[in-house]
Amino acid sequence: MGFLLENILFGVTVYFSYQYGGLPIYMALACGAIVGLICFSVFSVTISNAILMPLKMVRQAILHISPVADEYEGAPDPKSLKIGRDLIVNLIGQLYQIASVAEHELVAAKGEKPGISHEFIASTMPLPLFILDDSETIKYVNQSASEYIGMEVDELVGKNIYMVLDMAFPSDSTFDRWLKDVKGKSATASESWERVRLNVRENHPTLLFDLAAYYNQSNSDGNSTYIILFDHTKQYSQDDQAVSFVALSVHELRTPLTLLRGYIEVFEQELKGNITPELEDFMEKMRAASEQLTAFVNNILNVARIDDDQMELKLQEEDWQKILTHSIDAISLRAKVRGIELKLEIDPGLPTVAADRLSIQEVINNIIDNAIKYSGESKEIKITSKLNPEGLVETTVVDYGLGISTNILPNLFTKFYRDHRNRAQIGGTGLGLYLSKAIVSAHGGNIWVKSKVGSGSTFGFTLVPYGQLSKDKKSDNGDDLIRGAHGWIKNHSYYKR
Amino acid sequence: MDNPDMIKVDSPRKVLIIEDEHFIGELYERALLRSGYEVTINVDGVKALSEAQTNAYDIILLDLMLPNLNGIEILRTLRDPSATPNLKAKIIITTNLEQRDDIRADIEKQADGYVVKAELTPSELVEFLDNIK
Repeated sequence: MGFLLENILFGVTVYFSYQYGGLPIYMALACGAIVGLICFSVFSVTISNAILMPLKMVRQAILHISPVADEYEGAPDPKSLKIGRDLIVNLIGQLYQIASVAEHELVAAKGEKPGISHEFIASTMPLPLFILDDSETIKYVNQSASEYIGMEVDELVGKNIYMVLDMAFPSDSTFDRWLKDVKGKSATASESWERVRLNVRENHPTLLFDLAAYYNQSNSDGNSTYIILFDHTKQYSQDDQAVSFVALSVHELRTPLTLLRGYIEVFEQELKGNITPELEDFMEKMRAASEQLTAFVNNILNVARIDDDQMELKLQEEDWQKILTHSIDAISLRAKVRGIELKLEIDPGLPTVAADRLSIQEVINNIIDNAIKYSGESKEIKITSKLNPEGLVETTVVDYGLGISTNILPNLFTKFYRDHRNRAQIGGTGLGLYLSKAIVSAHGGNIWVKSKVGSGSTFGFTLVPYGQLSKDKKSDNGDDLIRGAHGWIKNHSYYKR
Repeated sequence: MDNPDMIKVDSPRKVLIIEDEHFIGELYERALLRSGYEVTINVDGVKALSEAQTNAYDIILLDLMLPNLNGIEILRTLRDPSATPNLKAKIIITTNLEQRDDIRADIEKQADGYVVKAELTPSELVEFLDNIK
């Protein structure tokens, strides 16, 4: 059919090009060939999407139900279909249902009690197993699951899964979101997650595991979702101890730092007016260096906590002008000792923002600290804040210093990444921007950079005005919004820690 | 000899510093005395708890890592009405130890303030205490 259409169009195009278009015959033939080729391509793609792909999905589903050696390809994924997806999903669902009914009838015809072997396997398997119906109510738990979370089977069956399992995930990809996504869009689906944290109840130890889930839209027995847990509490707890090591190390660093800052302050107070301007300048530089060291120690700690999903942010309604001004005051000494002026321009009437004050101050600190380091001979850094056209509070930090080359920009927010050209001359560990990106992302904002070598850089980030947060992202009692540095940590709105 | 920089206050507020790092305690004492506070320092957890339970202080600066009895235990005892009835002092945790957020939140609920020592100079700590009513 495609060839026929192509030939017809080829002939028509050649005729009209030659007879009426006045083209030489060879050009008319070329035009005809091009038109024919385009037509054939479009026809082929359409036929593929509308007929061949759906048929392939159905064939794959049949092979999944009744595998044939060398032809098994796993469950079909209708998400790739561009035409007729709903129809094919329903058709595949019907196939699975027919297969399930046929299997039951076969077992019954053989005189066996249906389901005994499956129930025996489920009840005796050493892995915790939960089976849910379409409303996420627990229909079945095996003995392993009951023992794992320390609740009797009777206490579990009939309850909503989220009332029983308070799961925290290391990223935005949660079980709850996955299930909402696959329902109605897929006939079957499976997914797995690593390092899921389970808080069972007070005084029960936290459990750490990997989770596997399987969803089937059309099971005839009403079981729609199967969940299996793979316990890794011991191993993942040992990983937690690595964070404790960091915490202890930070404590050891902070103690002498406390003394250092304290004695510098004593000297400044006692020697004020009694030492030369040069020595006063040295005292100021010592103070600036100690503040910088404090900020660095905090960065180490926060990066460790983010990497282990232990950083929790509380987003409250905050006056952005106050936060920005306070942060700039705190870092102004470090700029001053290098002869750099920090110029601040804030648009009046900015809305309040949803922010975790301490962590967003670290973002400001890191970005300005970066600007100070890369200022070169330039003596000015400009910080502005305004409401952007998208209605977000946008803050930029502009320096007129060394700049960053274009091929380095994509890696700038990567942990430990530093511009190799300046590595020897400019201090830093590559943690500040990585940390800033994680914090800004957890605030629902974006962070970016524009730069030109020799002209300086502009770093910017956005924050969401507090009033813009949608209802379902606010906690049920309107209190602080809790976010992990990777995003939401609550799995489901029913559950509270 | 009187220090001209010291502030004289008629009814000075009394502060109990529970801190086993001698030099840190010394720095805090210096800054607080200059601002007109009366200061007592205690370096041992058990003795510090007894001292705190005399209820003679307006503010208690409580470190967490202490010998013989740690700061969290002291905090719990001071907040237990049966162990320490009618404690009037404000309890401010001063620590350089980093906690998991849920543990810190639990401590903060029981205390009246939580300060990371490395993040405040002695004068800044005094300013913080001046604002506590």
